Amino acid sequence: MKKIKVLIVLLLSCLFIIGCANQRILERIGLVTLVGYDVAEENKVTATSVIRQINPELQSKVEVQSETESTSKGTRVKVDMKTSKKLAAGQMRVLLFGEDLAKKGIEEAIHTTMMNNEISTSIYLAVVKGSSKSLLEYPYKDVTDVGQHIYNLIDHNIKQQHTVSSTLHEVVRDNYSEVRNFALPILHKKGEFIEIDGVAFFSHGKMVGSLPAGDNFYILMMQDNFKESTLELVLDGESIDASKFQEKQLQIAVDSVKTKRSIKVVDPELNEFDLNIDFKCRLLEINSLVPINDPKLVEKMEKAVNQKIENEVSRILEYSQEINSDIYGFGEQYRAHVRGGKLTDQKWREKFREMKVNINVDVEIIRNGVFE
Amino acid sequence: MKSALQISNDQKISSSLFFFVVTAAQIGVGIHGFQRVVVKNAGNDAWISVILASLFAHIVVFIMIRTLALYPSNDLYGIHLDIFGKYFGGILNFTYVLYCTFAFYSVIRNYIEVINTWVFPNLSQSFIAAALLILVIYAFTGGLRVLVGVCFFSFMTGLWILIILFMPLEYAHYNHILPILGNDLKSIFKGAYSMTFTIVGFEIINTLYPFAKEKKKVQKYVHLALLFTLFIYLSVILVSLVYFSEAQIERTLWATLTLFTVIKLPFIERVEIIIICFWMIIILPNLCLFSWAAYRGVKRFKSINETTFIWIFSIFIFFANIPIQTRTEIDQMNNFFAKIAFYIVFIYPFLLYIMASLKSVLRKGGSKE
Repeated sequence: MKKIKVLIVLLLSCLFIIGCANQRILERIGLVTLVGYDVAEENKVTATSVIRQINPELQSKVEVQSETESTSKGTRVKVDMKTSKKLAAGQMRVLLFGEDLAKKGIEEAIHTTMMNNEISTSIYLAVVKGSSKSLLEYPYKDVTDVGQHIYNLIDHNIKQQHTVSSTLHEVVRDNYSEVRNFALPILHKKGEFIEIDGVAFFSHGKMVGSLPAGDNFYILMMQDNFKESTLELVLDGESIDASKFQEKQLQIAVDSVKTKRSIKVVDPELNEFDLNIDFKCRLLEINSLVPINDPKLVEKMEKAVNQKIENEVSRILEYSQEINSDIYGFGEQYRAHVRGGKLTDQKWREKFREMKVNINVDVEIIRNGVFE
Repeated sequence: MKSALQISNDQKISSSLFFFVVTAAQIGVGIHGFQRVVVKNAGNDAWISVILASLFAHIVVFIMIRTLALYPSNDLYGIHLDIFGKYFGGILNFTYVLYCTFAFYSVIRNYIEVINTWVFPNLSQSFIAAALLILVIYAFTGGLRVLVGVCFFSFMTGLWILIILFMPLEYAHYNHILPILGNDLKSIFKGAYSMTFTIVGFEIINTLYPFAKEKKKVQKYVHLALLFTLFIYLSVILVSLVYFSEAQIERTLWATLTLFTVIKLPFIERVEIIIICFWMIIILPNLCLFSWAAYRGVKRFKSINETTFIWIFSIFIFFANIPIQTRTEIDQMNNFFAKIAFYIVFIYPFLLYIMASLKSVLRKGGSKE
């Protein structure tokens, strides 16, 4: 009995001592929710951190601090000297890169972030048009916590498939993969608002090009399947009904878009691929003059939409071939289906630039609204 | 055969419990990061290596049990003494005790490293070691039946992690697995070889076998346990392969833990921290079983009380923890352990089986005359 008592005391003491190992009391730490990196002179980086401080009595405060140093940990020490509370990076949600730094290469910054166990791999990465410092330090009228604001902005757009998904994990996966590149959304300060302004293409950790936000839909369609999305199209009026819409453009909008994308290697020797997109949607908006109950017309319209999407997709594909950034997974598919010989980075870069892709889009308008 | 064990019925355990014991003994610290070494060798065919390694384990277990079944009631130590005599058998017993101690040490050292890297960077190693060792002492002094109980609870309370394991599939690219068999056979076998550190643990039956109530049923449960661990390892490696890119796995030290960092549950944002702390319950049976196996061996040299043994053992381990500090040293130690384990667990049982069956044939021949 005595022995058991001694053991119980020992065990209990262990339990209590473990509780004291590393205290992190919420009121005594500053939570870094967002960090933005920019290029500074002499190989240094400027890190701008958004720090949220919880205060039990007053409203919680958000602070933006910026420091320049050669390593990111160095900037953190410097920022620490400026804040009244100990900094903790465990709640970090977004990592921003200034455009200049992105063009110089963000591989090192990503590597540093991955080495830190405090930071989760589900944080979002994005590029800022201009410098991230000016984006973060601007006093927005309606935004109290710029860190949380940017996180929510990116988060819901990625979840709704409006912009490319850019979690740290995906970026690292594609960055170290020899046959794939990654893309990040571009943020831009427009007056009093922050908006997503396009997609930045990367190749080997360097930003090599960008496309405007209007192309997001097509880029995402080539990357993955859509579960639900909306698309607005401008069709050539003549292709639908020459008598009514001559020289006129016809605006239509479709929603509940469901797509299925598949890439097939047709001929590895000739470097030929098939990109098949199965596109199902609901017609939502159209000129009231168009008699949409006419099946022939619907067929015509499907064809026109088909043509339009094919054109856009091939334009975007040509652009990415030109800048040599395979964010769609052609390389992965090639490696998965062609045996023999490791597909190296160099080899795939050459192949990707010259590959031929047959784009087949199959549009089907499933239904329209409740009124014809 | 004077080396035979006298085990009373109330000390024996039900054969079905072997399932939990073997599963608990196999799953330990290796599963945190085995993807890295296996993928380095076998590329995207790493999952085939895992199956192969498990297949070898099945064969070895089959041989082990055949060897043990040659004796009515004896463990590996007794068999050594019977076949090789007092001196050479003693040396072999001593080697096996050292192996068990090394296994114990390797588990505790790796776990402390994980705690230090992921959860508490500044917590002293001796403190974690002491906390773990006290737990082991507590369980160990309860006797074998308590140890088996620990295994059972560790198994049952750890099952929820399996559900979480499949959540990262949201980011899966399934074509990472293709082309199947794109790597040559040699590299796949090499990959299987590098599974050693992760898959060992089932050799506990060497010492536990005489304690089974119905010896004939043991084999079935041990094979079932191996199948279950195969299922776990296979799920982990398949999820990792589709989730990570190949070069990324090679750079990730503890791929299983990194896998968990992407999961955000509504009530907890960093699941991996909870999982790492919870892992203490999963490695506890490892520690208990290895120390128990060492105890059975030491007992053959000198009759020693259980409590005295575990205290001396724990103090020894506690001080042995001090010289190895850096990651490179731990990596070297792991590689060294894997090499030794390969010979002791995967190669030696075949030799022993040949010797033991020769001996039994000779003995039968002798008694006929």
